[in-house]
Amino acid sequence: MSGSLKLIALIEKHADPIAHAWAKDVRRNSRTASYHDMPEGKLVPLAIRFYDNFRKMFYAEKPAEVSREFFARYAEEQYEANVPLHEAIYALILMRRHIWLYAEFQVIFITAVEQKQAVDSLVRTILMFDYAITFMSRRYQELIRGELNDRLAVLNMIRLESPLGTRLSPYRTAIMSVLLIGSFLLTYYYHAVMGSNVIFTHLFYIPVVLAGIWWKRKGILLAVVLGVFLILSHSVFLRGIPLTDDFVRAVMFIVIGAVVAFLSEGITMAEEIYRLKAM
Amino acid sequence: MYMGMKLIDLVETHAEPIARQWARNVRKNPFTPYYHSMPEKDLVPQAVVFYENFRRLFMEPKPVEASQGYFTRYAEESYRKGVPLHEALYALILMRRQIWLYAEFQVLFLTAVEQNLAVESITRTILMFDYAVYFISKRYRELMKLEWFEAPNT
Repeated sequence: MSGSLKLIALIEKHADPIAHAWAKDVRRNSRTASYHDMPEGKLVPLAIRFYDNFRKMFYAEKPAEVSREFFARYAEEQYEANVPLHEAIYALILMRRHIWLYAEFQVIFITAVEQKQAVDSLVRTILMFDYAITFMSRRYQELIRGELNDRLAVLNMIRLESPLGTRLSPYRTAIMSVLLIGSFLLTYYYHAVMGSNVIFTHLFYIPVVLAGIWWKRKGILLAVVLGVFLILSHSVFLRGIPLTDDFVRAVMFIVIGAVVAFLSEGITMAEEIYRLKAM
Repeated sequence: MYMGMKLIDLVETHAEPIARQWARNVRKNPFTPYYHSMPEKDLVPQAVVFYENFRRLFMEPKPVEASQGYFTRYAEESYRKGVPLHEALYALILMRRQIWLYAEFQVLFLTAVEQNLAVESITRTILMFDYAVYFISKRYRELMKLEWFEAPNT
């Protein structure tokens, strides 16, 4: 443990120059591009705080617990600064390397006994960094998932899906029933009462699109039902007027319904893949 | 490099038992829950391949290039299987630790001189794993972007 003590003493005493050396390195290293434009004045305190915490983490009885808190916070800060995970991790690796570069420079492990101490010290430091990498990558994934959930919030509202994935099917059925009855009544009113096929069918796209989003391929069936109903109603109430326009409209319902259904399927699939990967 | 050679020889000649120990570890480690339900027979070959590649990665004059190719493939395979990034990384960390546990078990670094040389060996191994972590997390990000067009800060 004395080797570790020596290393800790070195870090605590020389935190500032080590942090400066790290900041210079990270600002020009090709693997840490996000740090290149960050001012040294902003980077140095980041490293100093890490080096100040080093002893606490190094000697903790349960290093995993202490590391978890520190590196989760560190990950949050880097995430907010738009640093990609691999760069944040590499910057951390450079923090560790700079300890060793400085230690070598200070020639604190020279004799055979000291070399043995160096091994203990290395192993302990690496253990801490192993936890750091794990906790950072885990926290990044949680943050990504949270951000994507926020981005998907509006879409989920339209899809009538709760963030926890509970599908609000009863509401969908009720809304769709109202829209369908409204569409039937509207068709009857225009065809039977007004004797006209003016363009009121644009409103049918609301149930067609919602059905595609909610029920995906099965939702195409609703577009078919609306199309068939439109043609039947025309055949019964508007015999003197050519069917062409309403036929084209009915086909368009199915086309739009199918496009929305396939898009909705694609979004759901991508979302599922993401949720699996970000778990 | 002598101690490095000793370590490489150990890893190569004992790839199978080290891989088995790793598989057992990863199947019960709380940091790698994804692997808990995977059968040992599926896990062992994965580690054996890594340990068999250890010499090439270790001895490579340009360790960055060698690591990039190997660990990018590791990331792609893990991603395809649906392993979360932090678990894929930790599983790899355990692969490294397993070497050391085995090396200690074999009392490879016994004398003062050997302890001295061990520092070099550890440093070299760690350098390789530093690149590994970097390339794996980078590849995961690229793959997530492909699926999500532009995922949030990954």
